[in-house]
Amino acid sequence: MNTMIRKLEKKSHEIRKQVLDMCIKAGTGHVTSSLSATDIMVALYHGNLLRHDPKDPKWEGRDRFFLSKGQASPLLYAVLADRGFYSKAELKKFAQPGGIFGVHLQKSVPGVEITCGSLGQGFGMATGCALAAKMDRKLHMVYALLGDGECYEGSIWEAAMFASHNRLNNLVAIVDRNYQCVTDFTENIVALEPMDERWASFGWNVKRVDGHSHCELLDAMEELRSRRSTKPTVVIADTVKGCGVDFMSCVPLWHGLAPKGKDAARAQKELMRREEND
Amino acid sequence: MINPTLRDAFWDKIYEIARKDRNVVVVSEDMGAPSLDKFRTDLPNQFINVGIAEQQGLLLASGMAMEGKRPFVYAIAPFVTLRCLEQIRVANGIMNIPVTLVGVGPSFGYDDSGPTHHLIEDIAVMRAFPNIVTHVPSDSVMSEALAEMSCTMAVTNYVRLDRHPLPPVHKHGTDFSMGFVPLIDGGKTCILACGIMVQKALDVARRINKGSSKAVGVIDLFSIPANESALIKQIKRYNKLVTLEEHFLPGGLGSYVLETLNNNEIAIPVKRIGLEHSRGYCYVYGGREYIHKYYGVTTNDVERLVRQHLRK
Repeated sequence: MNTMIRKLEKKSHEIRKQVLDMCIKAGTGHVTSSLSATDIMVALYHGNLLRHDPKDPKWEGRDRFFLSKGQASPLLYAVLADRGFYSKAELKKFAQPGGIFGVHLQKSVPGVEITCGSLGQGFGMATGCALAAKMDRKLHMVYALLGDGECYEGSIWEAAMFASHNRLNNLVAIVDRNYQCVTDFTENIVALEPMDERWASFGWNVKRVDGHSHCELLDAMEELRSRRSTKPTVVIADTVKGCGVDFMSCVPLWHGLAPKGKDAARAQKELMRREEND
Repeated sequence: MINPTLRDAFWDKIYEIARKDRNVVVVSEDMGAPSLDKFRTDLPNQFINVGIAEQQGLLLASGMAMEGKRPFVYAIAPFVTLRCLEQIRVANGIMNIPVTLVGVGPSFGYDDSGPTHHLIEDIAVMRAFPNIVTHVPSDSVMSEALAEMSCTMAVTNYVRLDRHPLPPVHKHGTDFSMGFVPLIDGGKTCILACGIMVQKALDVARRINKGSSKAVGVIDLFSIPANESALIKQIKRYNKLVTLEEHFLPGGLGSYVLETLNNNEIAIPVKRIGLEHSRGYCYVYGGREYIHKYYGVTTNDVERLVRQHLRK
């Protein structure tokens, strides 16, 4: 287990650096939104949670992954490149002429299920995939990664209600609970807590974990495929927006921005230092 | 012979298809129909009621369609379209996931329900999206044919089903593949109409054509867009055109005809008859004809306007 956790931690460092570098080069991209969810995505794709085949992105038996917080696309793109869905050289062309992807998520990219940028939508589509799988007695799982700010959208709760009523225990929602939106902290805008109780009252099996602990993430998700409960599961992952780059963390106005000039060099240095200290 | 409502004709056909194809599913947004009762009873696994949750209905259906299902999303027309428009834009427009949106009671179908239930902007709105075709059937024969067509369409199909039975216009076996059907071959002028207004166009043409005259033709232009080259071929021989719709004029059927003519550099004077923005929304009760009177689109109004256009 320890070897696996070490491997995942190392991978998280690599992915964080890739995300930052690609956004710095492009001069755009949601860096902080990506950094908060990095450990979650690494756990899913590198921790043997999500069944996938980079050589056959449309493999029928794959688990479906919906990045409902589509602004974290640089993160998913970096993870998919790392898994071999396409060349890592593509990352250098992020949001640039001739590139295959831009700031928000695009379904034409190998391994990506949906186009997303309008919040509250990927999750609803995930319920459709999960229900279709049930109807056809297929065994794959459907995962959706939501932003916490996305949970302001009413459509999230329409979907949540539907999923539990229809016993979609093949559906897993992961909330990247980084406590920040575009302009402020969520609890200052309109409080989202108690988030666990809200999901539980909607009929979901709720797990709350440290979203930067691979150990806790794996513990929360590795048994879900056995489906002992008829409830869908939500993993509320407490995270830090911009995790790894201190001066960008906990500063809402860094939302949607890539650091430039001195800030860019400083951010890269901070990530390196974090890796060395780990 | 029984003349079913458009929605009963539509759902009866879908029921028939769904019995043989379990990928055909109905996603109801808490909307029923007598013809859907047997669907719900006989095919419960293919009938999903999401409640009054139109965003979820649309997203669920789109997710199911990604997995090979053929969903028919069903609600009162304003809610199955405008209430979840952003979802439609992303899932069905941008991602081009094909679903069928079945809207019942568009235009003034819910006549006495007031303006929240009158849907007179949707053609303009839905036309704005690539990958979405709007169909406005004028009778139950066409409605049934559209149900069948919908099962094989590669793009999203928005079907506006009038709530009330409409008098028969088409014969079984009519070819609907071009998106329009010529009904009266006119001499110089032609009225292009859709939905309930086709009946009005036929009445007006018959009045004006009384006796031996064949002055006014009628085309049921039920698909927006239609097959453009075939439509142009059909209308370019006329000297004058009239469009007739139960919809606001900006962006509606008339605008579609004008743009089609313009695309093909054809200059034929067009008189658009429909609902003027200057009349706004209405709280008029007592039936559809009273509403038509408010907007100036009764059969007499239309006859007068067509005659004026003919004289110019």
